[in-house]
Amino acid sequence: MNRYECLQFLAPLITDQLIVTSQSGQRIEWGSLSRHDGNLLLGEMGAALSVGAGLAMALPHRQVIVLESDGSVLLTLSSLATVANLGIDNLIVFVFDNGTYSGTRISEPTATRGKSDLEQLAKGAGIDRSMTVRKLEDFKRHAAPALAAKALSFIVCKVAESLMHREIPRPDVDLVENKYKFLRYLQATEGKPAPFLGRG
Amino acid sequence: METELATRMVTGLADAGINFISYLPESRLSQILPLMREDARFKLAPTASEADAVSIAVGATLGGKQAACYMESTGIYVSCYQLVVVALHLRVPILLLVGHLGGFDDQRNSFLYSLPGRRLIPQLKALDIEHSVLHNGDNLEANIKTAVRTMNALREPVALVFTGEFTV
Repeated sequence: MNRYECLQFLAPLITDQLIVTSQSGQRIEWGSLSRHDGNLLLGEMGAALSVGAGLAMALPHRQVIVLESDGSVLLTLSSLATVANLGIDNLIVFVFDNGTYSGTRISEPTATRGKSDLEQLAKGAGIDRSMTVRKLEDFKRHAAPALAAKALSFIVCKVAESLMHREIPRPDVDLVENKYKFLRYLQATEGKPAPFLGRG
Repeated sequence: METELATRMVTGLADAGINFISYLPESRLSQILPLMREDARFKLAPTASEADAVSIAVGATLGGKQAACYMESTGIYVSCYQLVVVALHLRVPILLLVGHLGGFDDQRNSFLYSLPGRRLIPQLKALDIEHSVLHNGDNLEANIKTAVRTMNALREPVALVFTGEFTV
């Protein structure tokens, strides 16, 4: 199973969900596969999970999906304990765990290639609906129900390292441009602008 | 901090439009938390790290809240990465409420806190984060409103640093 196959399955299932990606291959691949205005493509590691949690708290009637990587989650493990205790039931986290810092271009291993297990870390932090999937069929079997459920879900997707993200065009939308596109989408779908907008 | 000052601070935050607080509690301003917890105008997000608190506040702001982040001096160091690569990079306004543990005017300063406390203001300057140091409750409500107006105008985090009377 590779990440792109998973994202290909996920993209047609998106309707009005809000999607937050961390920096890494999933940002590039999702940016290429999905033109959804509710995509927030973050340009850094170690923040997507918490940004998604903040969105989920602010908009409890919306579903928020976070596309994370193993390296990104490992960078801020505290966020697992934080998110587990916020009482959120509208957040789904997919962690594409290839056991590799693929951005290094020399395939340096992450801790999940060694002894660390993100599902167990999440469960230990208190995220009860944590699981690991290793085959595309299993991803499909669990992803769709997770989207339909009203629960905090943490799905670790064990994927092969793939260099697909180096072959497809990178998103050409600036981070701030993407933020405003995202905010205008929320304004249109929520019927009100963010408080800091419209003060020119 | 005296209860009266804590009450004024909480009321001032609500009147300025703040309705979401992510935090890691500390010892100088902590009296605000029970007050906020009982106040339906606020949604609270307790965190395990100031790094999480900053990112959560950014998400909440993008979701339509007016968010503040409450922490002590060292929280600025812990959340420095998130402040730069999330809040500043994306240009998202959040109000940082920082108890100046270890600052020059910290009424409970000790050798435990003074070194990181001394470096807080230089750190905010290095991050180019607009900030104001409040020593007492004079014009507290107006100062909070000014900070919120400034952060919204800048689309960036702005810090209120609480010392002196706030650290008793």
